[in-house]
Amino acid sequence: MKLFRMTLRAALVALRRNKLRSALTMLGIIIGVAAVVAMVSIGQGATAAVQAQIRSLGTNLLMVIPGATTAAGARSGWGGVSTLTVGDARAIERECSAVAAVTYLRRQVVQVVHADQNWSTVAQGTTSTFPVVREWNVARGRFFTAQEEEGAARVAVIGQTVVDQLFGVGQDPIGAIIRVRNVAFEVIGVLEAKGQTTWGQDQDDVLVLPFSTAEKRVFGTQLFNVVDMIFVSARSTADIPEAAKQIRALLRQRHRIPTGEDDDFTVRSLDDMARASETASRVMTNLLFAVASISLIVGGIGIMNIMLVSVTERTREIGLRMAVGAKPRHVLLQFLTEAVVLSAVGGGIGALVGIIGSLLIAHLGGWPTLLSPVAVAGALLFSAAVGIFFGYYPSWKASRLEPIAALRYE
Amino acid sequence: MRRPLIRIENLWRVYTNGAVEVPALRGVSIVIEQGEFVAVMGASGSGKSTFLNILGFLDRPTRGRYLFRGRDVTALSADERAEIRNREIGFVFQSFNLLPRATVVENVELPLFYGPLPYAEQRPRALAALAALGLSDRAFSYPNQLSGGQQQRVAIARALVTEPSLLLADEPTGNLDSVAGKELMELLVRLNVQQGLTVVLVTHEPDIAAYAQRVVHFRDGLIVSDQPRGVHP
Repeated sequence: MKLFRMTLRAALVALRRNKLRSALTMLGIIIGVAAVVAMVSIGQGATAAVQAQIRSLGTNLLMVIPGATTAAGARSGWGGVSTLTVGDARAIERECSAVAAVTYLRRQVVQVVHADQNWSTVAQGTTSTFPVVREWNVARGRFFTAQEEEGAARVAVIGQTVVDQLFGVGQDPIGAIIRVRNVAFEVIGVLEAKGQTTWGQDQDDVLVLPFSTAEKRVFGTQLFNVVDMIFVSARSTADIPEAAKQIRALLRQRHRIPTGEDDDFTVRSLDDMARASETASRVMTNLLFAVASISLIVGGIGIMNIMLVSVTERTREIGLRMAVGAKPRHVLLQFLTEAVVLSAVGGGIGALVGIIGSLLIAHLGGWPTLLSPVAVAGALLFSAAVGIFFGYYPSWKASRLEPIAALRYE
Repeated sequence: MRRPLIRIENLWRVYTNGAVEVPALRGVSIVIEQGEFVAVMGASGSGKSTFLNILGFLDRPTRGRYLFRGRDVTALSADERAEIRNREIGFVFQSFNLLPRATVVENVELPLFYGPLPYAEQRPRALAALAALGLSDRAFSYPNQLSGGQQQRVAIARALVTEPSLLLADEPTGNLDSVAGKELMELLVRLNVQQGLTVVLVTHEPDIAAYAQRVVHFRDGLIVSDQPRGVHP
C-alpha cells in the first residue's frame, strides 16, 4: 500500500515535470476514448430510434397484403390486386391458434369538412379491434364499439393532424359533426399522436371510420367485403413465425392456390423489419467502434513512444535510484505507473469529452444519441489496458538496466 | 579490536567486449576494517572505479570471493544487492547525481523511498540528515540553486540518511574548487572520526588522499601498494 502510494506520487511528479509532453501524449488517448464513447452512443442512439419507430407500429404485428412481391415474372406487388376479404380476416382470427387478434382496413382519400374548414385525408374503414392490434389508443374520447361497427354507426375517430386542420384552438372536436362526402359523422375520439414514420409519412393524418359505414356510405364501392390490408397480432413475439406460417397455409387453402403456384398475398412481420434494421445498425455501430478503437491503439503507441524516450532520458536517474536501493521491480512499477496514469487520466478526460460531445451532438445536431455506460466503462478499462500493454516494454527495459551502466550513461 | 567489514579474496572482474575479454581487476585481495578511512588511488583504467563499484554492489565480480560483515555476498541476486545498497551503503559521486527537478529534501528522501521506514517518518529523517550537514535552510531549494560544495553535501546527506555502515565516494571533489574540496574532505574525516563511518574514497589527487588513514594504489587491475598513514593531517 505504501509502495503503491509512493509510486503513484513519484509518477505524478515525473509527469508534472513534463506537462506539455504528458498532455500531448494523453491527447491520443483522449481522442481515442472520446471517439469510442461518442461513436457508440451515436450508433446506439440511431438503433434505438429506428427500433422505436418500428415498434410504434405495434409489437407482435403481422401484416397481410394482397398481391405477392415475387421477383420472378411480372407480379403485382403491394396492394396491387384486391384478393383479401373480410372472410379471410375472420377465418384467420377463428382458425389460427398463434393469433391473438385481427383487424382489417380499407382506405380511400376523402375530403373532410367541418364548419368552414376542409381537409383531404385518408379515411380508413376498420374494426373495433384496431386500437388493440395496432397498439394505438385514443387520447381523448373513445373508439367505436363492435356494435357501432356492425350497425354502421356514423361515428368517426380522427388523428391529431386532422384535428389541427379542422378545429381551431380551444375548439373541442369530441361531439362535433364532420362531413365526409356529404355524410355527417359524429367525432367520438382523437387518436394518440404518433408522428411521422421512418419514411416520412404523417401517421396522424387519418380519419378512422367503422368498416361497414365506410364501405356502405363513403367509399361508394361495388366490391363489398374486400379489404386493403389485414393486421394480425400474434400471441407473443415468439409466436410471430408460427402465426405467419398458419396464416399463409390458411389463405392458400381459402384462395385455392395449387402447390407450386405463388401466393396471391404477402405476410410481413414488423419483427422481421425490426431485426433487419437492428442488424444493419449493429454492423454500423461495430464499424464505428472499430475505427474509434484504432485511434485508441494509436494513442497507446504514442504512450509507448514517449515512455521509451523518457526511459532513455532518465537513464541516469534510474541508475541513481538503483544505487540508493531501488529493486528492478520498483523501477518497472514506477514507469508502468506513469504509463497507466497517462492512459487512465487520458481515458477519464476522453470519456468526459465523449459524453459531452454526444450530448452536444444530440442537442445541436438533433441526432438521437444513447449514452452507453458499458461503452464508457469499457473505453476506460481498455485505455488502462492500453497503458499497461504499451507501457510494459519500456518499463521492463528500464528495470533491466545495469545500475553501473545506467549511472555512467551520458 | 576492529572487526573486518569487508574481506575480498582474489577478486577478478573481466569485461567482455564482443569477443575480446578485458580484465579490469586481476586478483585483488584486501581487508577493510570497520571505521577505516581508505583512499584508493591509481591512474584511469587501473581498476579503482571497478573495485569501488563491486564494493558497493553496483557491479558483480567475475571470480573471487567477497565477504561483507563475514557473509559471502559474491553471488547475490539483483534484489538482494539492491537491499544491501539501500541499508548498508551510501554513494557519493563526482557529478553529485542529484535529481534536478526535485527539491533538496526530496533528493535526500530518495533512499528512504526504497527502505522499510514508514512514510510519515521519512520527511523528518531527511530533514534531520540535512540539519546534521548544516543545510536546513536549503531543504526546499532546488539543486541548481546551490553551490557545488552544497550540492555535494546534499549528496552526502542522501548517502547517510539510511545510516549506512559504508560510504563510497568516487572522486567526490572532482567537480569542486579547492576550498570546497577541502571543506568536503574535512566533513568526511569528521564523519569518520566522530561517527565511526567507514569511508572508501577513490581519487587521483594526492592532496585528497592525504586525508585518509590508509592509501591503496591500483595499477593494471592489481593493488601495488597499501600504506597506513597513521593519523589525519
